[in-house]
Amino acid sequence: MVSEKMGFGNVTSTSKTMKIIDTEKKISILIVEDDLLIQKIHKVMMTKFGTEVQLATNGKEAVDLFLSSASFDLVLTDLEMPIMDGIEATKQLRSMGVTSMIVGVTSRNQDSELQAFMNAGLNACYVKPLNAEKVTVVLNELKNI
Amino acid sequence: MDVGQLQRQFIDYTASLFREMKKEWRGFLDDQFTQLRKLQDENNPDFVFEVVSLFFVDSEKLVNNMAKALEQSTVEFKQVDAHVHQFKGSSSSIGAHRVKNVCAAFRSFCEQQNIDGSAGGSIPMVE
Repeated sequence: MVSEKMGFGNVTSTSKTMKIIDTEKKISILIVEDDLLIQKIHKVMMTKFGTEVQLATNGKEAVDLFLSSASFDLVLTDLEMPIMDGIEATKQLRSMGVTSMIVGVTSRNQDSELQAFMNAGLNACYVKPLNAEKVTVVLNELKNI
Repeated sequence: MDVGQLQRQFIDYTASLFREMKKEWRGFLDDQFTQLRKLQDENNPDFVFEVVSLFFVDSEKLVNNMAKALEQSTVEFKQVDAHVHQFKGSSSSIGAHRVKNVCAAFRSFCEQQNIDGSAGGSIPMVE
């Protein structure tokens, strides 16, 4: 079976506690993606929505950022990356107690593949490409926490 | 030919790709490309040009890698699939509709370990 999205109501794993977002400051987003083209597209897209964006090129860089006390309202992570993939990075972030919203964005589209990614601790998972509609859903979920 | 002329030619060419899409509903570009064009503004005046250029560079590299992998005496279909998977991701993100569809078909050949479908069919289509 092929899906476009999982999560935000379709989550089969336990819900994760979210931190309260200060609506007066810009939403901060960490984009975790190794492909430079997709990194650029996602960065410009999220910036267009008025968010502040930081980039990491693999899961380890993302984990290291949180270990250095950085914090983000939203982590947007690819699945397949060198050094540390999205599943491992998500697991580590959750085990560290990170309560940021974590959304997966992947080219994989089989239910089993998306579910495996979700089970790592995602709030939702989307099949690429990321577009304005999907971003709107994610940001609305973030603001409604 | 200066950069301005090249950019104008690029704009005319992309417009023609869209006309092709609207006429036949099976064109080279899909709505994702429209979304990317909307992201171009005064803060990112060359955004479309930059992402298309990046896509071309990536594509050449990936197609070369796929071709080399398929030329091996023992084809590592998992390696080929990894390249195709990456290509599918970037082509769908940029709105390269036909390339994305070819990649999807290519992946099924890889799953079947079908060398004729991969090397004889999909590589020329992508090129």
